[in-house]
Formats: sequence, structure tokens, C-alpha cells
Amino acid sequence: MEPSRDDFVIALRSAFLKKGTQQRFSLLSLIFFSIILLILGSFNFKAINYVKVVIKEIVYRSSFIVTGPENFLKNNYLIVSNHLKLYEENKKNIAELNYLRGKDLSQKINILENIKYKKLIDDYFIGENETFAKVLIDKQSPFLRSIIINKGSKNNIKLGMVVLDEGYLIGKIVEVNFFSSRVLLISDINSKIPVSLQPGDIQAIMSGKDKQEGVLQYVRDKSLSEINEEIQVLTSGAGGLFKNGIPIGTIAIDDEILVNNKEDKIVDFHRDFSQLKYVKVISFSKEKNILDLSSKEDSEILNEKIEETNQQQETLRILLAQKKIADDIRVKIQKENYFLRNERIRLKKESEFLRNKSDRLKNEILIIKRNNQKNKIEDDEIEFLKKNLIYGHKCRKNLINNLYKVGTPEYRKCVLKKGLKK
Amino acid sequence: MNKIRQNNIIQNIQKYFPIILLFISVLNDFDFNNLGLIYFSFNFSYILIFYYSLKKSESLGYVYIFIAGLFNDIVVGTPIGISSLMYLILCGAAAYLRNITLRPSLIKDSIFFLITILIINSLLFIYLNFIFNHELNYFEQIINITYTFFLYFLFANLFDFLEKNILGNRHAG
Repeated sequence: MEPSRDDFVIALRSAFLKKGTQQRFSLLSLIFFSIILLILGSFNFKAINYVKVVIKEIVYRSSFIVTGPENFLKNNYLIVSNHLKLYEENKKNIAELNYLRGKDLSQKINILENIKYKKLIDDYFIGENETFAKVLIDKQSPFLRSIIINKGSKNNIKLGMVVLDEGYLIGKIVEVNFFSSRVLLISDINSKIPVSLQPGDIQAIMSGKDKQEGVLQYVRDKSLSEINEEIQVLTSGAGGLFKNGIPIGTIAIDDEILVNNKEDKIVDFHRDFSQLKYVKVISFSKEKNILDLSSKEDSEILNEKIEETNQQQETLRILLAQKKIADDIRVKIQKENYFLRNERIRLKKESEFLRNKSDRLKNEILIIKRNNQKNKIEDDEIEFLKKNLIYGHKCRKNLINNLYKVGTPEYRKCVLKKGLKK
Repeated sequence: MNKIRQNNIIQNIQKYFPIILLFISVLNDFDFNNLGLIYFSFNFSYILIFYYSLKKSESLGYVYIFIAGLFNDIVVGTPIGISSLMYLILCGAAAYLRNITLRPSLIKDSIFFLITILIINSLLFIYLNFIFNHELNYFEQIINITYTFFLYFLFANLFDFLEKNILGNRHAG
């Protein structure tokens, strides 16, 4: 065992400590140097950061030159393949153009309506610091999926800015140098983006998985499989970094994973990250009025309007108070009116009753009068009869005298005068 | 005079061919990502460093490998120094194998290469995952290791051919 252990030690020593003919450092010293770099780097040592910045600038520029031939070949390959597919694509494009022309107008209306409603709920974001950048390196290693672009802090690129390719989300800025920046693609496993799934407005977090795929995590709604159409994945705007509604990709409904309702839902990205050439870097912020001359005039007009509105409001307040008083009076008058109407009805009824009573009394009086008259006639008759019994013979015509015949008015007068002659 | 200058240039290209290739591979990344193959990736730098450290150790200087590692860290976005460390460990493993080998064989070399890249990637995984909280896709790592291992046979033969027939080094391999 001794000799073999010695061999092992000798071989190791030779490998790690022996310097070659043109080697200035041994392997072990360089390994130690790398470890020191790593440790200092993990503590954000200032000198290491400066070294990093310098190396980054050198590497990014030289990478762009070195990748030139490969990019040239790649671009030519794409040009040739596109050329071969031109006829079919043209036919497809014409059909699509006709279809999209019809849709365009309604989409414009929808966009305007959307902006209007978003402004109403104070959720309208506008793009700021829009910059177009060229992709220098599209490094998609198994460790990190990122690209390097040729715009840096010199061009107002800031950490966290959104990177779009033809309106589709592809990543965000994670590192800014003076002339270049690094974009972490959404296909990277460390990329976590709050997304919303349409239709249904289901909220989730999307993480990168493969070169062209993402995976949904923390899907709140379990009934995703109930949606019977292609699911669109958009940014939800939660967290405030991304504006909501930036398209990312789709989830196909015939996906086996979706049908089985597993936890991992695969998102197919709209963009092919290996074919990126130019990208748009943008940041979003809420709409605000800039205080320039025109906006000052606007603000003055606005102030005048506000003052006018205040005056109108004051007038309105007075009118409202007056109306309230008038309403009170009206209510009082209405009550009085009601009371008087009732009184009038009551009096009318009473007068009717009295009129009836007076009529009845009149009738009674009339009857009494008649009765009186009748009684008088009867009294006269009784008196006549009484006097007729006493004085009748003095007035009655007979054979010896020539007086009045019984029953004649002269006879009656004679009886009433007690038989006295004229 | 011109002939001498041309000869010098050719000699320099021959001499520095592995280093040039290493820097191009680090800055450009030969992993055919533009082909759009989902489950395909390999680490060309590992193959190159291991092969030349094993077969022609004088052509790759350790300092150049160290600088290439720093460049790779910058391009890939990993913490600075980690790729250098991995490359140098790979160099150390190749140097150890060279010291203990009496009769070189491609199969033995490749098995030793597989063990080394497994160790290196494990170290990388541990370092990135536990210290720097970089999430790595385990499955992709395995694919990368597997393809790197299988492509070692292809590239070893290709480098042999290049060294013997084009660069004119009869002692290679």
C-alpha cells in the first residue's frame, strides 16, 4: 500500500504544484486565487466590483465581435429559410391581413375604452424611457438564460426595466453597465412573474422552465381545466414592476398536464428567445401632467373652472336652502289647504242638512197654516150653526115673511148679524 | 522576409489554436442554442480544457484558463471566479490523469472525464444553489453532463485529427 499512496501523492503534487515550462503560476495558487475572488465577490468587495465592471465591458464588446461570424451564418440561414417559405407565407399573410383589417377598428375602440376606464380607476400606465437596443449576446446556458444588449446607464437604462420584443414580454433588466445591460429572460428558472390567465382572470406566478417554455406556480384557481379555449397568459401588474396586460404566451387546452390538472402548467411563449435581434426597453409609470407652459395655462383654465364650479356650488347651496324653506311653506299651506277643504266639505254637508231641515219646517208651517185656516173656517161654521140655532128663525123665509131662503149668503149674513135687519 | 513572417503567423496560430478556440467558445458558447433543440446542451470548454490539459498541456496556460473562466462567468452571469475554479479543477484532474497514465486510452480518459465533470457540476450546483441562492434546473444539468460526456469522443477524435493532419503536431494523442 505504501508505494501506491506515494504514487498518488506524487501525482497529485506534480499536477497541482508543478509549474510547466511557460507557466508563471502553479495550478494550486490559481485555484486559491479563484476561491479568494469568489469569497470577496460574495461579500460585494468594492475592488472586485470594479474589476467586474471592467471585465464586463471588455467581454461584452469582444463577445459581440466574436459572435459576428456565427450571427452572420445564423442570419443567412434564416434569410434563406424565410425566402423558401415566402410564397406560402405571403398567401397566409394576405388572408390574415384581410381578417385583421376587419378587427382593427373594433380593437382601436376597445383600446380607447380601456384607456378611459383605466384612467377612471387611476390604473393607466404610460411607457417612459423607451429605448431600442441591439442584442449583443444571446447566452442561454443551462445556468442562466439571459441576453446582453448594447444600451447601458448612458442611455438611461435602469434596473428592473421591462424588455419587450414586438410588444411581447421577454424579460427585465437585472444588470446595468455603462454601455451594456443584462436582460434576464422570462424563460430563466429564477424569473418569477405575476401573471393573470384569461379568460377567468386567474392569478398565478410564472417561472421559466425551458428555452421556450414557462411553468405556472401557485395557481389559485384549481378549475383551470374547465376553460374550454386557449388560455392567454398576460402580466397581472401585481407587484408594480410590470404594467398589466403585456402578453407573454398561451396554454393549450389539449395539454395533457392541463387535462390531468397537475400543478405544473406549461406556458408556450409567444417569442422565440433564440431569434432575438432588437428589443425595446421600457419602464412604465402612471400618467402625470408635466408643468410646462401649456400645462400652466391648462391649470389656470382648470382653476377658473374650479372657481366657477365653486360659485355655482354656492349658488346651488343657496337655492337648495331656499327650496327647503319654500318646501316647508308649501307643506304648511298644503296642510292648511287640506284642513280647509275638509272644513268646506263639512260645512257643505251641514248647510245641506240645515236646508233640508228648513224645508221640512216650511212644510210643517204650511201644514199648520192650512190647519189654522181650516180651523177658522170650521170655527166660523160652528159659530154660524150656533147662531143659526138661535137666530135662524128670524131670517128664514116662510109663508108669512119675506126673508131669506136657507142656504143663501144673505141668510148667512143675517144669521151672523143675529137676525138684525138692515 | 515575407515567407518568414507568414511562417511566424502560422506557427503562432498553431501554437495558440487551443487558447483562441477556448476564448471563442467562452465568448460565443458553442452549444448550438440557435438550432432550437430543447433537450440539447453541452459544455465545449470542458471538453477542450480536459483534452488539451491531458494531451498537450503546454498549449493551454493556466493563467489563460483562469482568465477564460472569468470571461465565462461574466457572459453566463454566474458569480465571478466560479468558472475559473471549475476549469482549474478540471485541469488538475487532467494533469493527475496524465501523471498516472502509462498507456493512454480514450475510454479510460472519457470515464475519468465523466467522473470529473460530475464532481465539478455537483460543486457548481452546491455552490450556486446553497451559497448564492441561484436556482438551477437539475434536469438540464444532467442533460448537459450527458451530452458533454458523449461529445467528448467526437471532439477528442476531431482534435487528434486537427493536431496530426492540419496543425502538423505528430506527437498529439
